[in-house]
Amino acid sequence: MSMVLIPEKDNTGNDPTQRPELILGQPDFAQLTESVCRVSEAPSPPRVWYVALSISLAFTIILHVMIAYLLWEGTGVWGIQIPVAWGWAIANFVFWVGIGHAGTLISAILFLFRQKWRTSINRFAEAMTIFAVICAAIYPGIHIGRVWFAYWLFPIPNYLNLWPQFRSPLLWDVFAVSTYMIVSLLFWYVGMVPDLATFRDRAQTRVRQVVYGILALGWRGSSRQWHRYECAYLLLAGLATPLVLSVHSIVSFDFAVSLIPGWHTTIFPPYFVAGAIFSGFAMVVTLAIPARYLFDLKHIITLRHLENMNKIILVTGMMVGYAYGIEFFIAWYSGNPTEAFVFFNRALGPYAWAYWTMISCNVLIPQFFWFKKCRTSIWFMFIVCIFVNIGMWFERFVIVVTSLSRDFLPSSWGYFRPTLIDVMTFAGTFGLFFTLFLLFCRFLPIVAMAEVKSILPKAGLDSGPHHGHGQYWGEIPYQHDEAAKEGGAGV
Amino acid sequence: MPSIDQTENGRNYWRSLQELALTPEFLAELGPEFAAGTDLPPAGTSRRRFLQVMAASVGLAGLTGCRWPKEKIFPYANRPDNRTPGTPVQFATSMDLDGVARGLLATSYDGRPIKIDGNNLHPDSLGATDPSAEASVLELYDPDRSRFPMEAAGGQTFNRTWDEFSTFARSHLAEIRGLQGSGLAFLVESSSSPSWAGLKQKALAAFPQAKWCEYEPVNSDNARQGIHLALGQACRPHFTFSEARVIVALDADLFSGHPAAIRHAREFVASHDPDAPEMSRLYSIESVYSLTGAMADHRFPTPASHVLPVLCRLALELARQGLNSPLLTQAVLDALKPWSETKIETPYLEALAKDILASPARCVICAGDRQPPLAHALAALLNSALGNSGTLVKYTPEADPSHPGSIASITALVEEMNAGRVQTLVLVGGNPLYNAPADLAFGEALKKVSTSIQLSLFVNETTSACKWHVPMAHYLESWGDGQALDGTLCARQPLIHPLYEGKSPIEFLSLLVEDQPRSGYDIVRGTVLPLLPGNDKELAWREFLNNGVLSGTATDPVQATPQAEAVVSSLKSAQPPSTPLSAQNLELIFCRHPSVHDGRFANNGWLQELPEFMTKLTWDNAALVAPATAAELGIAHGEVAALKYQGGELSAPVYIMPGQAPASVALFLGYGRTAAGRVGNGVGFDSYTLRTSSAPDFGSGLTLEGTGARHIFACTQDHHAIDTIGASGRAERVGALIREADLSEYREHKDFASHRVHSPHAVPLWQPYEYNDNRWGMAIDLQKCIGCNACVVSCQAENNIPVVGKEQVFRQREMHWLRLDRYFHGEPDSPEIAHQPVACVHCENAPCEQVCPAGATVHDHDGLNVMVYNRCIGTRYCSNNCPYKVRRFNFFHYHVHYTEMEKMVFNPEVTVRSRGVMEKCTYCTQRIQHAKIVAKNERRPITDGEIRTACQTACPTEAIVFGDLNDPESRVAQLHQNSRSYRMLEELNVGPRTAHLARVRNPNPELVEKIVHEHGSHS
Repeated sequence: MSMVLIPEKDNTGNDPTQRPELILGQPDFAQLTESVCRVSEAPSPPRVWYVALSISLAFTIILHVMIAYLLWEGTGVWGIQIPVAWGWAIANFVFWVGIGHAGTLISAILFLFRQKWRTSINRFAEAMTIFAVICAAIYPGIHIGRVWFAYWLFPIPNYLNLWPQFRSPLLWDVFAVSTYMIVSLLFWYVGMVPDLATFRDRAQTRVRQVVYGILALGWRGSSRQWHRYECAYLLLAGLATPLVLSVHSIVSFDFAVSLIPGWHTTIFPPYFVAGAIFSGFAMVVTLAIPARYLFDLKHIITLRHLENMNKIILVTGMMVGYAYGIEFFIAWYSGNPTEAFVFFNRALGPYAWAYWTMISCNVLIPQFFWFKKCRTSIWFMFIVCIFVNIGMWFERFVIVVTSLSRDFLPSSWGYFRPTLIDVMTFAGTFGLFFTLFLLFCRFLPIVAMAEVKSILPKAGLDSGPHHGHGQYWGEIPYQHDEAAKEGGAGV
Repeated sequence: MPSIDQTENGRNYWRSLQELALTPEFLAELGPEFAAGTDLPPAGTSRRRFLQVMAASVGLAGLTGCRWPKEKIFPYANRPDNRTPGTPVQFATSMDLDGVARGLLATSYDGRPIKIDGNNLHPDSLGATDPSAEASVLELYDPDRSRFPMEAAGGQTFNRTWDEFSTFARSHLAEIRGLQGSGLAFLVESSSSPSWAGLKQKALAAFPQAKWCEYEPVNSDNARQGIHLALGQACRPHFTFSEARVIVALDADLFSGHPAAIRHAREFVASHDPDAPEMSRLYSIESVYSLTGAMADHRFPTPASHVLPVLCRLALELARQGLNSPLLTQAVLDALKPWSETKIETPYLEALAKDILASPARCVICAGDRQPPLAHALAALLNSALGNSGTLVKYTPEADPSHPGSIASITALVEEMNAGRVQTLVLVGGNPLYNAPADLAFGEALKKVSTSIQLSLFVNETTSACKWHVPMAHYLESWGDGQALDGTLCARQPLIHPLYEGKSPIEFLSLLVEDQPRSGYDIVRGTVLPLLPGNDKELAWREFLNNGVLSGTATDPVQATPQAEAVVSSLKSAQPPSTPLSAQNLELIFCRHPSVHDGRFANNGWLQELPEFMTKLTWDNAALVAPATAAELGIAHGEVAALKYQGGELSAPVYIMPGQAPASVALFLGYGRTAAGRVGNGVGFDSYTLRTSSAPDFGSGLTLEGTGARHIFACTQDHHAIDTIGASGRAERVGALIREADLSEYREHKDFASHRVHSPHAVPLWQPYEYNDNRWGMAIDLQKCIGCNACVVSCQAENNIPVVGKEQVFRQREMHWLRLDRYFHGEPDSPEIAHQPVACVHCENAPCEQVCPAGATVHDHDGLNVMVYNRCIGTRYCSNNCPYKVRRFNFFHYHVHYTEMEKMVFNPEVTVRSRGVMEKCTYCTQRIQHAKIVAKNERRPITDGEIRTACQTACPTEAIVFGDLNDPESRVAQLHQNSRSYRMLEELNVGPRTAHLARVRNPNPELVEKIVHEHGSHS
């Protein structure tokens, strides 16, 4: 397999008379397939991959050790206390769930909005969603005092006729996050089937043939299969779209439904969703930049893709900034002294350092993206996105911890200090996340080949009327190009 | 994070503790600070030994429980009368502390004492208790208690049996008897027991040359000498406050530590009733903020050495304003003159004198035990001059008029020991090696004694220097008697067979001095039977044991008039303080610790973890320094300071205490133990190293220098150490949480409390519950709460609340279900204190219930907000959503390290919670159930007052009332209707079941003007 070396090219122009190239180097279908598949089919991945995987695995092991220690000793190994009974665990949970949102947004909402550029990034953004939700789901499970009874959170019929308490937002969380997890997983997997079939067909070893053969679910690329596939994909996109909004709204209910000043705020659902998308896109950019270098996908995940995401980061960052401002305004405007105190305390109290870290990272730093130079500089956007990731973690920390640390009775105010276990557990989830991501990069189609092909100039979409995803002119095995064209056009 | 060294206007005092703690040095210090034993698996009783003890205690349960001890073991073939297994039984008993018997009721559950309450027949208990008595039941089961007689020989210690000891002791003493007892000395703790006094007489008769020394580090020597000076005879004063209108406390903590503290508090709150036609007024002139100071309507922070000059000035002012009394002769006034020239800040004396003279006979002046004898004498003189002697102040003769006082007594003994005139020393209780005045070097003197025998509950600091050690029986294991402060005879009866082969002091003394050693039972009967009235002595004896006291045995007060001449001559010979106190010449004050007392309770986890009311410190003592003095010295809160005083040196962490008198540094005694046991070892620092026999109470000449090192305090509340924004937020809302008014405002607006906060009309989200049966509720009267912490320990004992240790308290994981919130307001140099007990208020519309995903906290049909521990999975969401933050979480398995012996203290009616479970106040649901069952069996409704929660039973002032809100006649329902009643955080629409009753202060109108004029308005 020969390497296709395509020089990086600026395709970020905004000249409306010229349709920008989304995939550079004008590859044909075969070349595209080749460039995606070789990531997985190369006899050995780049050396960096091994280095990254071993570091990630080490942190994953740390995560397991931390969890084992936590289960052995009790939740007291964390810094939580009374009044701050939720600490890093819940902040991390919200952080990871938020990260996941970008994937679903890209694959579902941008799909429905016919944003063609999404095809280059949607596959690994969705993978990121799955892995982030896995990391998130760990926390609610282990943060409870009696982990061995975590299953009581599910409405399992039992002889005592005991049910969960349906007024509790934590229970809504259980439903919201598990639904989200299931739909995201289905969406990801269904979207991957044609590409898995490609992998299967190109497989050189018996193991790959069997494994991808099973995973491809017998995909043959017939018109009927494409038809069903497109329907299913559309339906799942429709299902996933409200979830993008609902999951983080419900996560925000954990706070908004309580009566703690700083939590009890009606702005939380939209504010959380905007924040989630903000942090999710920042994470996609953070992952995309090394991935496109590492696996030589610069012509598929182009500068234009990155710039588009940076624009979204700028917009959602402004939304988040607006929410921060409105919170302060309402705190003052409501005339509620405890509410006002909580916000002044955030900005000026013992946690001011965390608050201003959050403001700088989330509101100030993304403002650089007003400048095209900043939006299109790889290194610069990477740094900004790292800051956004940090800032969004601090946002969750600020919300969870500062509100609890000083609520109604000054006698019970406290100051939360994390322990080493808190820090290492969080670091461990990053290890898990990157381990899963690195394995994904190596063993699954990192780019949605079938979808990308549909937007190649060669697919001829630019020349005629077309609508959306259903039109595939890809390299479909066992089928003549013309037949595929007709089959796809029927949708 | 700002570092501690940065100071704003020199007021580093306002910094938050947490900020300090973030510095790495601090966290590094945390490790070794952690009290040993709270996290380590203790070396407990072996299984075999435990089974033996359990077998013995179960077997003896019938005997110990009943009042007719037959010292044999019988199987439980026939159930003794009046005993049902599983039904708790209460026995009246008493505990000796500082030589006064405290009347108690001990609850025994199948032969195990598990709870201590007050005996309502006892004159100074009135049914209530204090923390030390409450916690004494934990001491009983302390696995560190001494278990065997021990003999030190050739640098080694050997375990012996009692037989071996008694063979040795009796032969040894037989030799001494031949020498008329020369070379023999007894060093004993104060005791009020008539049996003990009888045995003492026998001992002194058998050994006429023997020395008898009585030593208590915390004592009332000063009062004793002062009253002796004034009256010419050894008497103890008794104050009555119910009829008082003006009470002046001179460095006197009337409500804590005093043997009659409970009665004082009960009487004071009765007189301090805003609804009475006349409300009493309490003035406190003191250096260390005490409970009395917190209750005072006016408190003047005054260094301890300036209290006597203030009293002299007050006497002169009273005379100037026309107090006519034959006692205030010209000679007295002349003698007082030099004192009035001392330069002291007493701007309020005129108003105080005027207030006193408005009704002189209803004013009482009380001097504290820390004050010199002269202050007591002068106070006695003034009391007589005011005409209250015999009404508000009474004097009864001391039981042992020959006792020279603790300090004099031990000084004399050490002299004898140093002179080699003591060959055999018998120590009964006490711990002189730890707590004798430092200048006496008791340890050195003890080395000169060839044979020393110690009877002690614990192997303590003194044990290692003694030749023989024998274990003492706990008061709950032994027969005894005692006298209340007023002389009333009290009973002490065992509830359990001695767990560790101990003998009570009377049995021990009997073994040493009597030809035929008698059992404790025989000794006590021998003493008490002749004192019992009537012919049927057996019946009277049973009645005595049943009641715990013998009524009518109080000592009659003496009619004594103070002699002015004696006071004059002492005044003339005494010197007013000449060199003024300053930051370079500080005053040092030694204080009894309200929890661990003189250090004897240092191994008691409940008391170590009990937040001291003023500082909220647990597991620690500190050098209390006034904010202004600290600023002048440049010392920060929590900084370790080097104290130099009378040649001694000590390093102690500084706690900047608002309201502490300027240039006056207070040290709590009782910490820094090295041989207390696994709980008390290495906690805090030892203040006794600076305490000398010449100035055991206070003295000047202290210098204090910051070392820059930091110390971590584990406080349960960090009030004054806080950032600016926090302080302003707190100041804004405390007035709404703890509602207070002055009497004048209260008289105009009876319902001021309900108007302090504007509560918008709120509509419940859920349909309200209906209660057709009972609707339990509580009312806490802040007017009455003195902040004594008795309720906190009582709750801990009743509800099996674990002790978590210093490190966990520092991490804000203390488990107390009930806490006392304490806030300062006003100037930091002279603030007032507002405080309130807070436990779960059992919200009608409970926010915790709505967020629990497992349904582990629910409403029951009586409206209790109950925790279902078995259902709790520990999401802690309920705690987050609790606006009162009264929920406590088991972050670890806090009970797992309890030894089998310690587990015997558990109340079997209350679940012991495992790790990962939330808990909180249940309104003592087990007591409610018990009362319900009893009432149902008797086919009657529950009567008002039948159910008393643990906090309620302990409360000295009956500030806590529990009952049925559905019964309009119940006390609690009426208190809920009281005009002072309010519900904390009512505006959240959670509907708390516990109402607080607002506090009304009665400041002197003239002084209010003065204060407003000088300091601006008090916010």
